[in-house]
Amino acid sequence: MPSQAERAVIKKDFLEIWDSRMARGTVLAVPLVLVVALPIVFLVMINTVPPSGMNGVDQMMRLLPAQARGLSPRQGMMYLMTDLLFPAFFLMIPLMASSVAAASSFVGEKERGTLPTLLLTPMSVKRIFHAKTLGCVLLSAIVTAISFVVFAVIVSVGDILLGLPFFLNWSWLALILFLTPAVTVFGVVFMVMVSARSKSYVESVQTSGYLVLPIVLALIGQLAGLFRLSAWFLLVAAAAVWAADALLWALSGRSFTPEKLLR
Amino acid sequence: MSGLSFDVEAGEVFGFLGPNGAGKTTTVKLLTGLLRPDEGSCSVFGFSPAQKPCEVHRLCGVMTEGAKMYGQMTGTENLIFFGQAFGMKDEDCRDRARGLLKKLDLWDARDRKLRAYSTGMAQRLSLARALMNRPRALFLDEPTSGLDPESAREVNTMIADLARAEDVTVFLCTHQLRYAQDVCSRYGILEKGSLLAYGTLEAISRDAGLHTRASLRLREGDSPAGFERGGDGWWYADVLSEDEMPKLIREAVTGGHEIYEARLIRPTLEDVYFKYVSLNGGKQP
Repeated sequence: MPSQAERAVIKKDFLEIWDSRMARGTVLAVPLVLVVALPIVFLVMINTVPPSGMNGVDQMMRLLPAQARGLSPRQGMMYLMTDLLFPAFFLMIPLMASSVAAASSFVGEKERGTLPTLLLTPMSVKRIFHAKTLGCVLLSAIVTAISFVVFAVIVSVGDILLGLPFFLNWSWLALILFLTPAVTVFGVVFMVMVSARSKSYVESVQTSGYLVLPIVLALIGQLAGLFRLSAWFLLVAAAAVWAADALLWALSGRSFTPEKLLR
Repeated sequence: MSGLSFDVEAGEVFGFLGPNGAGKTTTVKLLTGLLRPDEGSCSVFGFSPAQKPCEVHRLCGVMTEGAKMYGQMTGTENLIFFGQAFGMKDEDCRDRARGLLKKLDLWDARDRKLRAYSTGMAQRLSLARALMNRPRALFLDEPTSGLDPESAREVNTMIADLARAEDVTVFLCTHQLRYAQDVCSRYGILEKGSLLAYGTLEAISRDAGLHTRASLRLREGDSPAGFERGGDGWWYADVLSEDEMPKLIREAVTGGHEIYEARLIRPTLEDVYFKYVSLNGGKQP
């Protein structure tokens, strides 16, 4: 349970992120685009445009797994969106939310010159580090949870309209329960590492763009039919990210010292 | 820093002086645990800042140019936040913030965001923040830098008043020698990381070879023995202490000299400071 001082730091960090137009914009816009706007656009297109009017439907239908072979083109398109495209979109939310929160909390504080003041309180550097990390993870978790609920409602409506079963399968469960929390923590600890070298909030957010690359590559590989990420693979990936989290956590905690931070 | 050694007595206002880059801020960082010394040690109320920074921070208030507050928060919110970070209870935070905002003439701006404060107001709020935890010692690093003369005077007066009223030990780094002379009881003069002088004004003046001088204004053409004529027409003689002054006046009068004015001129902090800096190869004003 965080102490009163740690809770004050977490609350202050939340308000600071909310106050920054750039951070607030990113934290709100990424989920709105990826799990609200795009799914709705795809859903409307699938339901309104005749499959004969779309290019590449046949190639896409070939990506369907064996258990989904009997689906109609519309159903098949929705299945592919939910199974291949949306998980990658969804995973970007915790990643972006946590790295933007951490950029504001760690680099932003350094950039605004408020970090020395915080370091002059009786809170130990370790406590400040924990409070800030916890705040970023919490914020990202809240954004991700809300995004998932909204996304689930939108996709469920689509599934009902197209007569498909509920979308939540083992892969989605592995993604939500294991990979998403691991990626959330990764976004934060990666940014803490970056903050030691980064001079500005913008620079650190730009660096976080590299984190999206593995997700994009996984998406392209799946859409090209090169491989398919199973629930097992996602579990293994989650374990690998958790291991990276632990390593980066230890390294970033060690680099979080007043002398390194105020350099 | 090199071979730095000094102590500050509880309850005193200690003036730490030196040109830019002398090492004043580094010293404050060492004393508040933001930097670790490569060698040697320091102790604040018996705690090593490098080993026990939290204990030092609990007992001290620090106001430095580099320690800013949150622009998106109001003055009151800032003080309450730092009070909470110091582990103070909510009610205590509010009471203390209210009292300090009133005392530092920020009450009317209490609900305004800090980013809308003027430099002087922001400096006063920083001072309030440093006082939130009722510190036993205050480290003030150039508390009036960037302020116009009026605001600087206002902040200076407040620091002196607060130090007296709150009974805190003050470690004051400043360029304002005249002000420092009014409020400090002892001084340290720093140059290139080394302490050039340390002690009361009287002691450091003596060490610098600067003496108190008796000066007399006499009738034109008059010349008393043992005195030298200055460019301003006054007659000057070094004295070891002010106790010599009555005797000098008495001797001048009995010697038939007509004294229009008599003055005892003590070296100012400014005289002493520039003497040390020039002795050390620094620039004279």
